[in-house]
Amino acid sequence: MQFEGTPEIENAIRAVLADTLGLSRERVDAFRPETPLFGSLPELDSMAVAGVLTELEDRLGILIEDDEVSGEMLETFGALTTFVVGKALT
Amino acid sequence: MQPARPDWYRWPGGRETMLRFGPDSGPVLVAALPLFGEANRTRALVVTVLRALADRGVASVLPDLPGQGDSPVPTEDARLADWRTAFAAATAAAAGDRVYGFAIRGGTLVDGAAALTARLHLEPVAGTQVVRDLLRTRRIAHAAAGRSPVADDPRAAGPPLLLAGNRLDRSLLTALLDAEPTRADRVLALFPGTDPADRQLAPGGAIDGEDRPRFRRPWTAAEPFADPALATLLADDVAAWIARCEA
Repeated sequence: MQFEGTPEIENAIRAVLADTLGLSRERVDAFRPETPLFGSLPELDSMAVAGVLTELEDRLGILIEDDEVSGEMLETFGALTTFVVGKALT
Repeated sequence: MQPARPDWYRWPGGRETMLRFGPDSGPVLVAALPLFGEANRTRALVVTVLRALADRGVASVLPDLPGQGDSPVPTEDARLADWRTAFAAATAAAAGDRVYGFAIRGGTLVDGAAALTARLHLEPVAGTQVVRDLLRTRRIAHAAAGRSPVADDPRAAGPPLLLAGNRLDRSLLTALLDAEPTRADRVLALFPGTDPADRQLAPGGAIDGEDRPRFRRPWTAAEPFADPALATLLADDVAAWIARCEA
């Protein structure tokens, strides 16, 4: 899987959140860096997180290590994007 | 069309229920659901597929495995070897002229001991991935509760681990860590991955201007859903595959 840059990855993340959490496209398109996710989004509980991480790994060709999984990386859309971009573009 | 009939099968450890679909003769498909939470999220889709297969004249059974679903066996007593033995027993109880296996995700880890004419797998997944997903859920749940992360090593001695609402014995987890999907005769995938598949059900590339799969994967979704279009596509593929095997 080849990604050109951050906007493409960001769109992939939005698609993952839409598909795994059953959110509308309009809703995920409105996510901004400061939009809170884990802890605020009712659809994203701890059981849903595993599915989100699996989809991110499978679609973006990245591997998320056990010790990288934390509340912080899922706290906001920006935090998640920064984390995923860091893994996808290295 | 006949509704699903409740049935049962006996295995060395006891008796478990299974649902029977379709005609009373001809080839029979035995379905292996994914494991743990994915089973809950995928069951509706699988039942829809089995009903659609019944409409196409193909019989099938959906067995409960010991320690899963409505099984009387406590989840804590579930063992991978028992799942494999039980699935083999369910296959024998299917009593078809020929019995075909249809396993999804972690279900591809339990069909190896069964006397099946052929196996079809949908997105096989290694046992390490299954355990990893469970440990992730626990890690996040701990983080959400404001507790510092614990390094859970299933291979270390200890009491059963509470993972995603299931109390699981460490020997089950250890066995899963070493488990690989059985070799299948046909492999389907819902989304392009690194492993080769005989058929991608949702070809990669731009769909409606977006680079995303055509079908949502039920097993990674937060809530269960059954996509009728996906069920139809799967039923058509399975029915055609069985027809080729029978020819």
